[in-house]
Amino acid sequence: MGDVLMECMEIFSQDGVQLKSAQATYVNYLNLVGTLYITEYANSNCKRCLEWKPNDVTVDSDVQDQEWAVVNTVQKRSRTFSESQPPDASTRPKFLKVNFNDIKSFKISNKNRQLTIFDGKSEVTCCFIFQHGDCDYLLSLMRGLLKTVSAKRDKHLYIVIHGDDPETAQLDKSFAELNIFQDSSHPSWWKLVKNFQERPYETTFETFSRVTDFVYRSPDQRDIDDDQRELLHRSLTEYASTHCQGDYEVIAKVPELPERKDYPRGRPLSTEQWKNLQNHEGKLEDVDQIKLMIFRGGVAPNLRYEVWKYLLDYFPWDSTQVERQKLLCEKNDEYYNMKLQWKRMTRVQEDNFSDFRERKNLIEKDVNRTDRTLDFYAGDNNPNLQLLYDILMTYVMYNFDLGYVQGMSDLLSPILHLLKNEVDAFWCFVGFMNKINSNFDIDQAGMKEQLQNLHTILGFIEPQLVNYLDKHDSGNMFFCFRWLLVWFKRELSFEDVMRLWEVLWSGLPCDNFHLLVCVAILETEKQALMENNYGFTEILKHINDLCGKLDVPAILVKAEGIFHQIKEAEHLTDNIRVILGLPLVGTQPSPEEVISISPDSPDEDPYEQVYNTMQHIIT
Amino acid sequence: MGSRVNMRPTSKNTLLKVVILGDGGVGKSCLMNRFVSNQFDEHSFHTIGVEFLNKDIEIDGETYTLQIWDTAGQERFKTLRTPFYRGSDICMLTYAIDDKHSFRNLQMWKNEFLYYADVKENVQFPFIVIGNKSDVEANEREVSQVEMETWCNENAISACIETSAKNASNVQEAFATAVQHWLRLENRADKNECLYTDTVDLTKKQSENRTSCCINASDE
Repeated sequence: MGDVLMECMEIFSQDGVQLKSAQATYVNYLNLVGTLYITEYANSNCKRCLEWKPNDVTVDSDVQDQEWAVVNTVQKRSRTFSESQPPDASTRPKFLKVNFNDIKSFKISNKNRQLTIFDGKSEVTCCFIFQHGDCDYLLSLMRGLLKTVSAKRDKHLYIVIHGDDPETAQLDKSFAELNIFQDSSHPSWWKLVKNFQERPYETTFETFSRVTDFVYRSPDQRDIDDDQRELLHRSLTEYASTHCQGDYEVIAKVPELPERKDYPRGRPLSTEQWKNLQNHEGKLEDVDQIKLMIFRGGVAPNLRYEVWKYLLDYFPWDSTQVERQKLLCEKNDEYYNMKLQWKRMTRVQEDNFSDFRERKNLIEKDVNRTDRTLDFYAGDNNPNLQLLYDILMTYVMYNFDLGYVQGMSDLLSPILHLLKNEVDAFWCFVGFMNKINSNFDIDQAGMKEQLQNLHTILGFIEPQLVNYLDKHDSGNMFFCFRWLLVWFKRELSFEDVMRLWEVLWSGLPCDNFHLLVCVAILETEKQALMENNYGFTEILKHINDLCGKLDVPAILVKAEGIFHQIKEAEHLTDNIRVILGLPLVGTQPSPEEVISISPDSPDEDPYEQVYNTMQHIIT
Repeated sequence: MGSRVNMRPTSKNTLLKVVILGDGGVGKSCLMNRFVSNQFDEHSFHTIGVEFLNKDIEIDGETYTLQIWDTAGQERFKTLRTPFYRGSDICMLTYAIDDKHSFRNLQMWKNEFLYYADVKENVQFPFIVIGNKSDVEANEREVSQVEMETWCNENAISACIETSAKNASNVQEAFATAVQHWLRLENRADKNECLYTDTVDLTKKQSENRTSCCINASDE
């Protein structure tokens, strides 16, 4: 107890935020970099605040990285001397805090990197600069939490409309999806919120999302009181169980999933098929069909050289032979221009450019330890290592903000190995990075989101397993980190990696299909994990040790089966629809969408359509 | 509580959690692999995420199981590795003797560890500083042994050692020193009667070899 933040729920946090201006009280913090939070104080009438804390505070670590804090593996063994005293209250970090109710308007400027808050009285309450990326996500959150309208004269200025009873209004808005609780529900809600409080707040938010799932499953048949009771029960037992090891099996009666069907893998896309699908100008005729064939069977190894350039958005799918020739010339020049930029850097420039030097040093180190067992990269002074190095260095110049992050050399290696051409490999690597660059976010937000999404989907398919993981400190899914960061590159043989990647690049049958691949593997390992009663460390070890033991075709069959189960499930939640990019219930496609997707049957998604018509041809 | 039992190997040995920290490429994984399986692969992959290995070690007739945690060194992955610091018994601060920059970063690593490991203030934590790659040619060395010792003195760290995971020099010794160092601090904490009851029961009898342990621990 005691720390202000411990009593509240953190809705959002972003590090690398500089305080640009603020009221006089905070003058000592001006220009410091820190972390910006949106917090919610449940025990004081749902007061939401924007809070900012400078970085160089060494008093208490509890605030940061709470999502991961569950992984406390060996119980804490405190060693302390009797003379040690509780930290002096005056040394506690001061937080800049703005109550949401006091925000009259806010403005986004400077390429969405600057957020200014106005309180309507003094000119500016405070102003923040986002050093790592933009504040789009924060903006969307604030617009969700506050009722706003864009100012007519400045569309980047948002004016906040405070209702008569702003707290209730906000509450209703944010819990709108839980509307079965309306009318009689506020007291119960606060009881629930209070229970959450007894847990470190990092899990609270996650729980909310699960609560939503739970409620969504069948709102019509369930008795509301039962729901509430069960929710409370869950919120207490499921999380308290790490302390008291109750033998509760608190899984609600979940509606059954449709039967799992087998979708046998198809044959790889062959050169002949590929040629037949091009017209006389070298333009592909039926892109949807090609993508589907790739999804179902991959690409024949001798054709990869060509097809990967499309899959990785180097060549546009609808380009002609002539257009591609022109593109190649342009991309060639563009590449060498960027390469010259770092090649020409003088020693002095480099000495004065620590960010560059840091990236360069790490690339040097990592190139030397990437796939060195392959002939293509083996041996000292292998020229292919130089190519790997040059491409990664050029990528640093291409995207300096992202720079080089460990894992990228793993992603580039198979591409270069296949294409054996520096320029082509670079642009294909760029295409791959565009697909998954959120894996390398500076605050790892993209990875955290994926792990959370994986948890959500796994909970839908295997609630028993998720319940087990939650009880064994593994609900954060951290043990899947390596899988997701480099798309199984470390777990599979080179050939299997190429097959899996091209299937995933096809973008079918839904967004984030790689998460279903994870679910398929975890489902296979469920028995081993649970029967051995593995805890956090053993789960991590078991998953790390799957390296080299995964059967890609079988996993893909399973993952596709899971996709159809999810899609056809009656109790499918919007949460999962969003993750997989499936149309939301009750949303009508806009007229443009209807036309572009399929003029005939707007209810059917393109995958389904092509799948149905093509099934007989491709297997 | 139940989960804690699971974490522990079935043997009755005392389990010590060891965290190896340091810049990317200083040889953290190589040190671990040399110690645990006596293998060395210069070209092995850099670590993604977190890995750990268990290994028993005998000190003064007692067997300890070391659970050694190896993490990704790049700054970017900070939020993913720091949760693993909690509950550590020993921290190995690692640099490469041919990389001055990695040596300078020891301060950062130490601070990061203390910040996230939840170590009580004013507590002497068993750090050990490791200068890896002692096999490099003399002209490639960028950090001298004196510099290492000076830094350790300034930071009140009593254990430091130069190792080579490549030619297996001093690797066993490094881990043994770390455990001895831990034992000494544990004894001292015990004397101060602030040991929590759920801590390991290795020193119920007060040991006589209580040294003033802060400076110069190399008396083993």
